[in-house]
Amino acid sequence: MELKSIKDAFDRVANKQKLSYTKTNEIVQMVSQEIDKALSILKDSSSPYPTPLDHRSILAGVKKTFAENSPVNQLEAAEKELNVALTKYPKVLEKQLNTDIAKAYRNNVEFDTHIVNQIIANFFYRQGMFDIGDCFVAETGESECSTRKSFLEMHQILEAMKRRDLAPALNWAISNSEKLKQARSDLEMKLHSLHFLEIAQDQNSQEAIIYARKHFERFLESFPETQKLVCSLLWNRNLEKSPYSEFLSPALWNNAARELTRQYCNLLGESSESPLSITVTAGTQTLPVLLKYMNVMANKKLDWQSMEQLPVAVELSEEFQFHSVFVCPVSKEQSSDENPPMMMSCGHVLCKQTINKMSKNGSKSSFKCPYCPTDVDISRCRQLHF
Amino acid sequence: MEIDPVTNGNTDAVMTETAATITPSPPVPSSRLSQLTESLKLEHQLLRVPFEHYKKTIRANHRCFEKDVSSVVSGVGDLADNNWSKDVTVSRLTSLVSRLQGLKRKLEEGNNVENLQAQRCRARIDHLDSADVENITEWNNTKLKRILVDYMLRMSYFETASKLSESSNILDLVDIDIFREAKKVIDALKNREAASALAWCADNKTRLKKSKSKFEFQLRLQEFIELVRADTADSYKQAILYARKHLVPWGATHMKELQHVLATLAVKSTTECAKYKVLFELRQWDVLVHQFKYEFCKLYGMTMEPLLNIYLQAGLSALKTPYGFEEGCTKEDPLSQESFRKLAMPLPYSKQHHSKLVCYISKELMDTENPPQVLPNGYVYSTKALKEMAEKNGGKITCPRTGFVCNYADLVKAYIS
Ligand SMILES: [Zn+2]
Repeated sequence: MELKSIKDAFDRVANKQKLSYTKTNEIVQMVSQEIDKALSILKDSSSPYPTPLDHRSILAGVKKTFAENSPVNQLEAAEKELNVALTKYPKVLEKQLNTDIAKAYRNNVEFDTHIVNQIIANFFYRQGMFDIGDCFVAETGESECSTRKSFLEMHQILEAMKRRDLAPALNWAISNSEKLKQARSDLEMKLHSLHFLEIAQDQNSQEAIIYARKHFERFLESFPETQKLVCSLLWNRNLEKSPYSEFLSPALWNNAARELTRQYCNLLGESSESPLSITVTAGTQTLPVLLKYMNVMANKKLDWQSMEQLPVAVELSEEFQFHSVFVCPVSKEQSSDENPPMMMSCGHVLCKQTINKMSKNGSKSSFKCPYCPTDVDISRCRQLHF
Repeated sequence: MEIDPVTNGNTDAVMTETAATITPSPPVPSSRLSQLTESLKLEHQLLRVPFEHYKKTIRANHRCFEKDVSSVVSGVGDLADNNWSKDVTVSRLTSLVSRLQGLKRKLEEGNNVENLQAQRCRARIDHLDSADVENITEWNNTKLKRILVDYMLRMSYFETASKLSESSNILDLVDIDIFREAKKVIDALKNREAASALAWCADNKTRLKKSKSKFEFQLRLQEFIELVRADTADSYKQAILYARKHLVPWGATHMKELQHVLATLAVKSTTECAKYKVLFELRQWDVLVHQFKYEFCKLYGMTMEPLLNIYLQAGLSALKTPYGFEEGCTKEDPLSQESFRKLAMPLPYSKQHHSKLVCYISKELMDTENPPQVLPNGYVYSTKALKEMAEKNGGKITCPRTGFVCNYADLVKAYIS
């Protein structure tokens, strides 16, 4: 895509618009000057013309000027050039962009508006946009979102953290300590560390040590970070010049906030990223592939509306890869419960159907691996669970 | 299933050759950039809509200036050709002058509006220009909000649409005023009034003619039907007059429909004859609403569907795997949520050409950097995750899904092609 050619085409439109405006202005000016002139002659009683002057001759003069200059034709001419630019710009857009992204849309699928609205309301609350969420719920007449209360608590905790108030976050983390441990999260340690640093920053080593004694002991083993924290006390007047200047970094706060969001959503049974934003971004990555496919297949009869599987593979970014997918390198089929992936003795993996085929349905007790010179013993092939 | 005979060959030479062809192609570093370029190509509507609006303003202004100038010019001609007294001439000329003053004001105002609209067109081009690989997350966030505003405008949730656009600072990137214009027409049609829709047709006459739209004809037919429905002595006369004036001109191209509707003069609105009964149904007005939306979207170069639905369909299909519907599916997958599952139900599954393995423990991709390791019980995890576990537990590995315990030394590497 050439954004520059779009820009250029638009610049042409804007230039021609300016020209057309100037020209129109001139024409109107000219017309009005002619009339003003005539009018002032007519009104002027001290004019050198004899009084019952044939005012028709003055008017005839103005008429003649207009006939010669033809302001209307001039106006049309001014518009003509602008029109050329106006017609051209959409053509440039059509050339550079996908004109109809709905080509990849299934018309026979209708989304339930209530579900879509619920998803949107949930999105606003998750993003902390409570005003807009409430406004949306009221305007759509949907029932109140069940997650509002929880997201409100989460955002209050995050807001407090922004003000460097760790109390609500710590309260939450401590009361969910067991669950966080199960999720292998270090959130509690992160929050205690931040709190410790806040105390130390206030030049209060004594209190910081008391705090460390109380809270760090159980983390010392699994999180060597805590040792460094305690050492940093030695520099607390001058932390930025110490080997521990990293502890001043705002990144620590951001990381803690991110981890809190993740764990909070997790315990709520929600994903840590907004599912709406994931799906729309995935859609952004998918549409170009589908549209390209539609264009290539434009002449073929295509049962787009009833396909059970997309006709093309779409390579989504890594962060959208939520599950292991195994595609047998020989049959190109996706594995399933009936056709699971099997590892051969050499470590290469095929799906079960392929292995059956290669061993002639078990009639041969061994066959050659398609990817290395190993003789594969069927009895030693084993099913994998990804 | 067919097995390529070459892949089952016996010589080492063939082996190396096939081994080379089966390595999965890793994503090229430029892929993110080209993905970005491709995604910008989806933004036709973003650039097209404000431009159509701009164009419409320019054309309407110009028509108005032309009309004014030509009537002033012919006004002077009239005066010159007629023998009015001096006083009449002066007063006529004075009124022409004030008309010109009005025109100058209109010209100034028109130019201001045009400039504002040009600015909006430019803001959108600049917005596309501002997207790059570094700020793509933020850019996509804005994009989602634009898409949501588009959805709300189409659903007539104007209050939230305005609020969201204001608070997200995207007023230049959304088309609230254009949809407000449409809403007036839609509301009137819902009230069974065709006048504002007809005015809209007159406003966009050239464009509608060019696309061979028969929307105006349909509106006229409906107005005619309403006269028949009124069923008073006078209304029939009116209906006939109306038909002569507004329907006959369409006869050349739409004779059949015209005859069908005119025949209602012979029946009552309570007719049981199915052929005519349908014409009197009130849902014909809903058909007109739908038809208007279609014409409106087409005129502005918009998709008929809300952008949100288009993006959701594509995204849901690409994310839809059989695993998303399983019990215990990771919460990170949108399809683990009931609402998303319901939306995805009628949509196709995604298709995969290559294996993509995600470690159950770390959720990281298992590739050549972080290869999959197989426990003796057949469960597979990434090398990194298993190493970390072994280091913490004195070389012992515990399978998180089965509780099976083994030594790190018992693991075997799997080769996924
Ligand atoms: Zn092998």
